[in-house]
Amino acid sequence: MHIEISRRKFLQGTVALTIIGSTATTTSLFSKDKQGELKITTKTGETADRLVPTLCEMCVNKCAAIARVENGVVTKLDPNPYFPKSRNMLCARGNAGIQALYDPDRLKYPLIRVGEKGEGKFKRVTWDEAYEYIKEQTVKILDEEEDNRSSFLFCAGEGMAEHTFKTFYQGFGSSNWLNHSSICLQTVASAYGLTVGTYPQADLENATYIILAGANRAEAIVTPDTMDLFKNVKSKNNAAKLICVDPRFTNTAAKSDKWLAIKPGTDLAFVLALTHVTISEELYNKDYVANNFNGFEEYKEHIISNGYTPQWAEQITGIDAATITTIAREFMAHAPKAIYYPGRRSTFAKNDFQLRRAMAIFQALGGGIDCEGGLVFGKTLKIKGHDELSPMYENAEDRAVVKKSKYVAGEAGYTDCAIVSGGGSWISWRNNFLEGKQSYPVRGMFCYKHNPVINMPNTAKTIEMLKKMELLVCIDTMPSDTVMYADVVLPECTYLERTDPIKTFGGAEPAIAVRNKVIDPMFETKPVMDILNGLTKKLSKPMFDITKKYDTEVQAMIEESSEEDVYAEFDLTIPFQHSQEEINEHSVSDYPDAVEKLSKYGVYYPEMDNYFKQLSVNEYECYPKSKRAYRVNEGKPITPSNKVECKIDTLAKNGVDAMPTWRDEYYRETTQGKYKLFTGRHAQYTQSGSTNNSMLNDLLRENFLWINKRVAKEQGIEFGDLVEISSKAGSTKIKAYPTEKIAKDQVFFIHGFGQESSALTWAYKNGGNDNAVIEDIMEPVYGAAAMHETEVEIKKV
Amino acid sequence: MARYGMALDYKKCINCKACETACKEENGVLLGADKHRIWVGVKEIEGEFPLLSIASQTFYPSQCQHCDEAPCQEVCPTNATYYGENGEIKVDPDKCILCSYCMNACPYDARYVDDRTMTVDKCTFCTDTRLARGETTTACQNTCPTKVRIFGDLDDPNSEISQVLREREYFTLKTHLGTKPKLFYLV
Repeated sequence: MHIEISRRKFLQGTVALTIIGSTATTTSLFSKDKQGELKITTKTGETADRLVPTLCEMCVNKCAAIARVENGVVTKLDPNPYFPKSRNMLCARGNAGIQALYDPDRLKYPLIRVGEKGEGKFKRVTWDEAYEYIKEQTVKILDEEEDNRSSFLFCAGEGMAEHTFKTFYQGFGSSNWLNHSSICLQTVASAYGLTVGTYPQADLENATYIILAGANRAEAIVTPDTMDLFKNVKSKNNAAKLICVDPRFTNTAAKSDKWLAIKPGTDLAFVLALTHVTISEELYNKDYVANNFNGFEEYKEHIISNGYTPQWAEQITGIDAATITTIAREFMAHAPKAIYYPGRRSTFAKNDFQLRRAMAIFQALGGGIDCEGGLVFGKTLKIKGHDELSPMYENAEDRAVVKKSKYVAGEAGYTDCAIVSGGGSWISWRNNFLEGKQSYPVRGMFCYKHNPVINMPNTAKTIEMLKKMELLVCIDTMPSDTVMYADVVLPECTYLERTDPIKTFGGAEPAIAVRNKVIDPMFETKPVMDILNGLTKKLSKPMFDITKKYDTEVQAMIEESSEEDVYAEFDLTIPFQHSQEEINEHSVSDYPDAVEKLSKYGVYYPEMDNYFKQLSVNEYECYPKSKRAYRVNEGKPITPSNKVECKIDTLAKNGVDAMPTWRDEYYRETTQGKYKLFTGRHAQYTQSGSTNNSMLNDLLRENFLWINKRVAKEQGIEFGDLVEISSKAGSTKIKAYPTEKIAKDQVFFIHGFGQESSALTWAYKNGGNDNAVIEDIMEPVYGAAAMHETEVEIKKV
Repeated sequence: MARYGMALDYKKCINCKACETACKEENGVLLGADKHRIWVGVKEIEGEFPLLSIASQTFYPSQCQHCDEAPCQEVCPTNATYYGENGEIKVDPDKCILCSYCMNACPYDARYVDDRTMTVDKCTFCTDTRLARGETTTACQNTCPTKVRIFGDLDDPNSEISQVLREREYFTLKTHLGTKPKLFYLV
């Protein structure tokens, strides 16, 4: 065999490295602090000051790393073999964490805005000045709103300290909490939860037949799924067969045995047809269905009578009927060691909730639930909670959701969705705020590690919302686009400079792991725990004074006892008085050797001394196979009924189909002259959070618009040409990458680029921002952002 | 004394580039898109949508082949390029005059210029970083999510690499040139 791939060929042949130079320019905002400008890497030496086990935060996976510190500098991050979840690996982003730590653009000091909102003009202040400013503004607003604590919105991105911030929100007493769920996993997590009891893990290590539909595990890395999947599928004996269903030819498709270019948004029809074959040919596990299903007969009748045949699905999905039939047969022949992968992604189509329900039911028809090679519930090692505070404020209004004026049975009760989840619907909340539909004014906003300007559809609307907030406090590590609109910026230290709350990771191989501080916080940055300690010391008493003024219940309580006693229930400082290390020790105090092990290995699970084993030079085993929790509930779902729920009547009461049903409006052909826009992830970037990383920037300078090669030729668009993409929401500019890996009526580019914060050396105006173009379309159940429902026009500029 | 080589279970490669970043951080490789010791080769996809060739999108992780008969060493006029004690190809920055003969001679395009040391640099199999302090894996091997790489001593019949090369089919790149490369692609 003779293969001609060289560095030079590579440079010519791929997108990643062909564009010379970057559009980034250095900016003046933090120029005084910029040192050395372009960063360099450090060669590791012979001796280290210390090796610190920690957890990565370059994405949400929390893989275990060992940080090497030499002369006080972190010189290398290596994988930590003791953590079962991350399988002794660190991806490109994990390795590049050093560049996040030493990013010259980091937020270094507390700042207060001096220019217009969004202008990026701030003055450096002391922590006390920042807290004082927040106090004055907060007290003013609360006084004017007569102690309606809900006049403040709290929002947070995913992370190990998210709960610390949420504790502040709870103590503050607002009802307005928004997190990433409605732009993330809301529909898949809830649909699996309602159908089989939880959002399960997939045992991709032992499955022999795997369908990955709309899940790109080679590029959107999830641990341990990515490693287990490809090691299994591409093992010497090709142990597992992989079917990749994706409108786009991804790196996952490149590893598959079969790639099916499904029409976007039609996966539900595909699954319903697989279900039809399985039921009509009686391929399902009859014992399993008889013992573990609720409503199977009705579902069967529903599938058959609606005629969800492979021939029917072929017309909708574009996948031929014979292939659908074959896949259903193969899947059921391999079941229970067959997985229709639940996926871990945002909502793409409006029917996503029903799609996930149909997938869960199809999976269960083969009996692949709570078993090796199927979907796994696993075990979780218990850890103790910490101090929280839930004071009751008489004048705190309910969450600012908008209900329909009249409830009609069988219809959604809210204007935008049927169900309001804990994380809320970001788009619905924002749009209602802008349209003045909320029943009381929300005037302030605390934002932790969250970038709503870039992270959700319709950037222009988010900016408008942030401009209207009288007080925006941002706690972050980087001067993101959202931070640019802040009134006060509180700089958090990066993950390598702090100890975070200990976390327990459930699964077939459960473990507890900790993010240990590697080096002390640089500049004047602090962990969020310390930030909230300082902030609540400043806020707590003056805010209580406002409560005393307006809250008749509190007034009565003080009459009955004393102000001191009543204040004890409202003392916001309580949850933030201990160090994170002390709290962590308390969390694992049920396990006698946990503190020592967590300090030494970063990981703890009972029997690790006996179970952990090195298999080869570079491979390890954390649990022997016989000790893994593949089966914990005798193969039954963990719904309250211990059955798979095919039909959920309570959904129908709120206008949601009780059983997964295809509706004609779910698919429409692309309008002539327009394209369907997709967004997605990349193995070298995590959303907008790492596009300013100089190491990762080496791997992919900027994002590119995938456009079909033949279409591009017709339009006179060549590789690297700048094009403008526009929709009803707005427009963005991006360079073109003509390729045959995408259909003629579709275009794609990865999320996280095209940022407008001038304080970001590498990310500023680099590439295109998908959310400037994606319209704020919601799916009807939770109001989650449906990100693939937008059509765009393209123009060469 | 060993004879270092590397086997690549390349079909497991997902082109995530963890190897490239680990290499840069470990060995202090300059940033800049063309400054890298490791890369993943990808070809343009064959076919027209949706009739595409999956096989045409195989990923080929690559780096210096540490040839037993290294053309770069042969052409070096100052003996800056030399064989290390374990068969790895090394560069002495003090002797390198940046004539770039080695860059032209290398059939694998494995060498690049380090602008700081003004040396035509290359992969060292981490012999002056990780292995020098007693570790047994290279940075690229250690970090790889799907465990593509097996590094070790080809002269030790009991090493993992020797075993895998006895048990599995493999090919080497540009074998016909007689460079005797020590990167082995497992089929």
